[in-house]
Amino acid sequence: MQHHLVLRVIAKLLFAPILLFAFYVQFHGDFGPGGGFQAGLIFASAFVLHGLLFDVSSARQFLPDRLLQVGAAVGVLLYAGTGLASVLLGGNFLDYDHLAEAPTSGQHLGIILVEAGVGITVACVVVMVFRAFADHLPCLREQDW
Amino acid sequence: MNDTSALYLAILLPLLGAVLIAALRNHPNLREAATLVTSVVLFANVCWLVASVANGATPRAENILPMPVSGLFLSLELEPLGAMFAAIASGLWIINSLYSIGYMRANKEKHQTRFYICFAIAIAAAMGIALSGDLITLFVFYEVLTLATYPLVAHKQTAEAKAGARTYLLILLSTSVFLLLFAIAWTYDIAGTVAFAQGGILSGRIESWLAPVLLACFAFGIGKAALLPVHLWLPAAMVAPTPVSALLHAVAVVKAGVFTMLKVGVYIFGIDFLEQTGASQWLAWLAGASILYASVRALAQDNLKARLAYSTVSQLSYVTLAMALATPLGALAGALQIAMHAFGKITLFMCAGAIYVASHRTQVSGLNGLARAMPVTFTAFAVGALSIIGAPLLGGFWVKWEIIFAANALEQLVFIIVMIASSMLSLAYFAPVIGRGFFLPPAQASGDADASAPKEAPLLCVLPPSISAIICIILFFQVDALWRFLELIFESTP
Amino acid sequence: MFVAILPAALLTQLPILQVAIPLLAAPVCVLFRRGRWAHDFSLLVTAIASIISVALLQFVFNGGVISYALGGFAPPWGIEYRIDSANAVILLLVSVSGFLALLQSRASIETEIPEQKHPLFYTAFLLCLTGLLGVAATGDAFNAFVFLEISSLATYALVAMGKSPRALTAAFRYLILGTIGASTFVIGVGLLYMATGTLNMSDLATRIPASPHHAVIQAAFALIIVGLGLKAAIFPLHLWLPNVYTFAPAVVTTFLAATATKVALYLLARFVFVIFEDASFAGTLLMPLALLAMFLASLAALQQGNVKRILAYSSIAQIGYMLFALALASTQAVAAAWLLILTHALAKGGLFMAVAGIALQTGSSNLDDWKGIAKQMPWSAAVMVVCFLSLVGVPLTAGFVAKWSLLSAIFSTSESIILAAVVAGVSLLTLLYAGKVLETVYLGTPDEQNATANLREAPLAMLLVALLVAAMNIYFGFNGTMLSDLSKRAALALLSGF
Repeated sequence: MQHHLVLRVIAKLLFAPILLFAFYVQFHGDFGPGGGFQAGLIFASAFVLHGLLFDVSSARQFLPDRLLQVGAAVGVLLYAGTGLASVLLGGNFLDYDHLAEAPTSGQHLGIILVEAGVGITVACVVVMVFRAFADHLPCLREQDW
Repeated sequence: MNDTSALYLAILLPLLGAVLIAALRNHPNLREAATLVTSVVLFANVCWLVASVANGATPRAENILPMPVSGLFLSLELEPLGAMFAAIASGLWIINSLYSIGYMRANKEKHQTRFYICFAIAIAAAMGIALSGDLITLFVFYEVLTLATYPLVAHKQTAEAKAGARTYLLILLSTSVFLLLFAIAWTYDIAGTVAFAQGGILSGRIESWLAPVLLACFAFGIGKAALLPVHLWLPAAMVAPTPVSALLHAVAVVKAGVFTMLKVGVYIFGIDFLEQTGASQWLAWLAGASILYASVRALAQDNLKARLAYSTVSQLSYVTLAMALATPLGALAGALQIAMHAFGKITLFMCAGAIYVASHRTQVSGLNGLARAMPVTFTAFAVGALSIIGAPLLGGFWVKWEIIFAANALEQLVFIIVMIASSMLSLAYFAPVIGRGFFLPPAQASGDADASAPKEAPLLCVLPPSISAIICIILFFQVDALWRFLELIFESTP
Repeated sequence: MFVAILPAALLTQLPILQVAIPLLAAPVCVLFRRGRWAHDFSLLVTAIASIISVALLQFVFNGGVISYALGGFAPPWGIEYRIDSANAVILLLVSVSGFLALLQSRASIETEIPEQKHPLFYTAFLLCLTGLLGVAATGDAFNAFVFLEISSLATYALVAMGKSPRALTAAFRYLILGTIGASTFVIGVGLLYMATGTLNMSDLATRIPASPHHAVIQAAFALIIVGLGLKAAIFPLHLWLPNVYTFAPAVVTTFLAATATKVALYLLARFVFVIFEDASFAGTLLMPLALLAMFLASLAALQQGNVKRILAYSSIAQIGYMLFALALASTQAVAAAWLLILTHALAKGGLFMAVAGIALQTGSSNLDDWKGIAKQMPWSAAVMVVCFLSLVGVPLTAGFVAKWSLLSAIFSTSESIILAAVVAGVSLLTLLYAGKVLETVYLGTPDEQNATANLREAPLAMLLVALLVAAMNIYFGFNGTMLSDLSKRAALALLSGF
């Protein structure tokens, strides 16, 4: 544990704030810069950081690969499903006006939902991509640093 | 049964036969019976059609199949020339089937089912050609005939057979697609129709200098008529087993070619139009040259089938020459040649095959003394040869007679000379076969303990050529009935 | 018919459902654990998509145009889906091809793709289908790019799943070239946006003549033609195609051969005829390329030893035919192009289906390993015969209807006998490579007698679908009026503006 001690400690400290910040960016997208793509990326970057400094596969215990696959699918389904819901509620595809009583609330709800979908998918996919590459690379042993 | 359904039946029967043959592929005897039964029923159907044409009817069937493009339709129509061709093809199918059974079994050939199926489809295509009412229908069946005979030519599947089949296919398909189809399209463009009609459809619609060009496209596009120089497929197709050669050279393929040539001359151009414009004069010269060239080439061939192949090229050009003389007499003589040559040539080919089956000899130089062992075969051969040569007492005589007559009426003496020269050349290339067979002693085989001295070929290989030889003789005496039937071509019918 | 059964509300949503249903179905496939369920589910989805295509075609058959505003935002500011006869036919082609390809593929997928990847395979397949349907249905230029990329990316993944190691390199090369093509296309669209301020296709058609930025628009035109040309495998931008078709899984090749390049060609036609309305320039540019494709690709096909590669070069040549027809630019010629698209899908799809069956049983798609295979696999060989005849354009097959239509168009447009002779000549070349394959299959003798003796016919499911497609080739050869009619309406719709 001598190498990268500083990095590892900081990473552990920052892990939770990064995730929190991701959520902040996610919901902030309604009012300023932000939204699903950026949030998902930030969310995933926490795991990328962890994977860079620690063992890649240790994160698999609480974020298994299958969950990531399902998450990616669920995100897309959420997006497309919102569009379908608009159709079922009487409007055109992705016509958020029909999602709530008032058109503005409907637009608000619609954007939140689709951005959530995008965020979930992006986060899952980036972690999957990182893991796909990281799994193929040989790990340097501690003593070789 | 009315005339129209008889027309459809003539094409459907062989196709049904093909299906039946495929179904019976594991029972050889039943399979052969299927072929024979189909051929007999087809012949009966065609006789029915011939009878109704002889009574003056012209059965017609329009729009037999929905065509995908407007303005084109397939139609069937029967007239005397087509009726005769259909009768010859279907009648000879019976004889050839008997022969095929004998030959294929004696030689223990493989892929027999495929052989009989393709044969049936080829006959169906020949029927379609005979009964077609317009150029498009004829073209479609013409192509089907080429494709159906391709597996037959490549039957033996040796490298040689495949190469020969490829030449066959390539020449016939290129000529038909590039020249014949083009000529048909051009005709459609000029005349607005491609249906066959009495007196032709082109008169007054094409400039007289263009008519020979159009005729050239037809003449070279109809590759199956083996006009110089598109005749090369014929010698290449010699790699096929003899029943196939009989089919190609007597029953269907070449006859379809010259039949098409005649139909185009009589019903698309019109004999009168040809005469007025002189559009076919060059064709008569080319046909004459073709006759002489092929006869000379035949002299040089030692392989018996190759010799017969070149003889066919020569004899086919008789029809082209006769048509190109542009008189009704000429056209009728050409039609007569279709009949006479069919019976003569099939006899010759079947005898050649019988010789191969019995003695495995293919070269003329190896035939010494064989007639002693195979008297019936060689006699049939002699009869067929004499018919081709045009000797009296045999059907072929009348053809020579009529063509000379027609040439004389036109005062084109050169063609009389061509006819006479051709007869002499045919004598020259057939005589060695007959002479060696009958009059020369058998050559001593090198390993003389070869106790398998050739015997007469099996019955099914000898009987069919004998039958067709006898028909050659009969046709000499009964030519009147046939001639009168053919004259109906030029009788004005509504 | 559909008006009676379905509620009116559903009918108005059909344009989006055409694309949305496969789009929703794709992530669902990820959730499946078993390939079996994913397969059946995908089959159901493609069947539904096909039914929707038929309904849409019925609506626009008599010249109508359906306009659908995504998100409720009216065009030209919102994204519009616009269906007329021209793209309704393409939608039908894509969805039915997807359905038939899936129907016949179970056995080959099980052999070629590892078990655990099956659900992902179907996901990618449905995404590819979504992308192609979206390109055809949309009326917005940028939306077209989005769906083009969706289909392309899914295709790269699909191709990479092939069994051979070369599948990976083929996919990678396609990825590079395809991305270049798509980027070129989107730059072109961007330039158009800059010059006119709109991305809606019908709006672009009105604004382009009025725009003062001529150079920008010309540059955009060129970029779009190059970008779409690469996707459509127009000579000389076709280099990715032979390897992709050869090494991709069999079902992917079957589907792609019938659809992917045709959709890009449709988009190209839409841009040339509707948006830019400058068919004559495109004609001068594209005609020589088309002729070169027809000749050189056919000649290349003659020299290949791998059957899939022969068919791949054949596809490039046939795309040359379609481009040739489009370059002639008359209504008749465009109708001929649509006919060629439809009949080529029938013929090539059938061929690849038969090839898939034979390759499955023999384990190879090299012609040398197929000598005399017709003896053990007569039905597959028969399918090949029929489909090859249709490809060549022999009368009584669907291909003849298309070739005849092309010849009529040549005669009435340019009256050039030379062009007609070229078409006939390339048909002869097609016959030559078709003959090469058929001769080996039927008349070849296997090198070792026992090598092929134990082979049986392809699995029944594969065979039945292949036979169905072969039968369709013959049916439409007789009943060509249906296809001709569709194509004529498509051409009229395309040329009369959006």
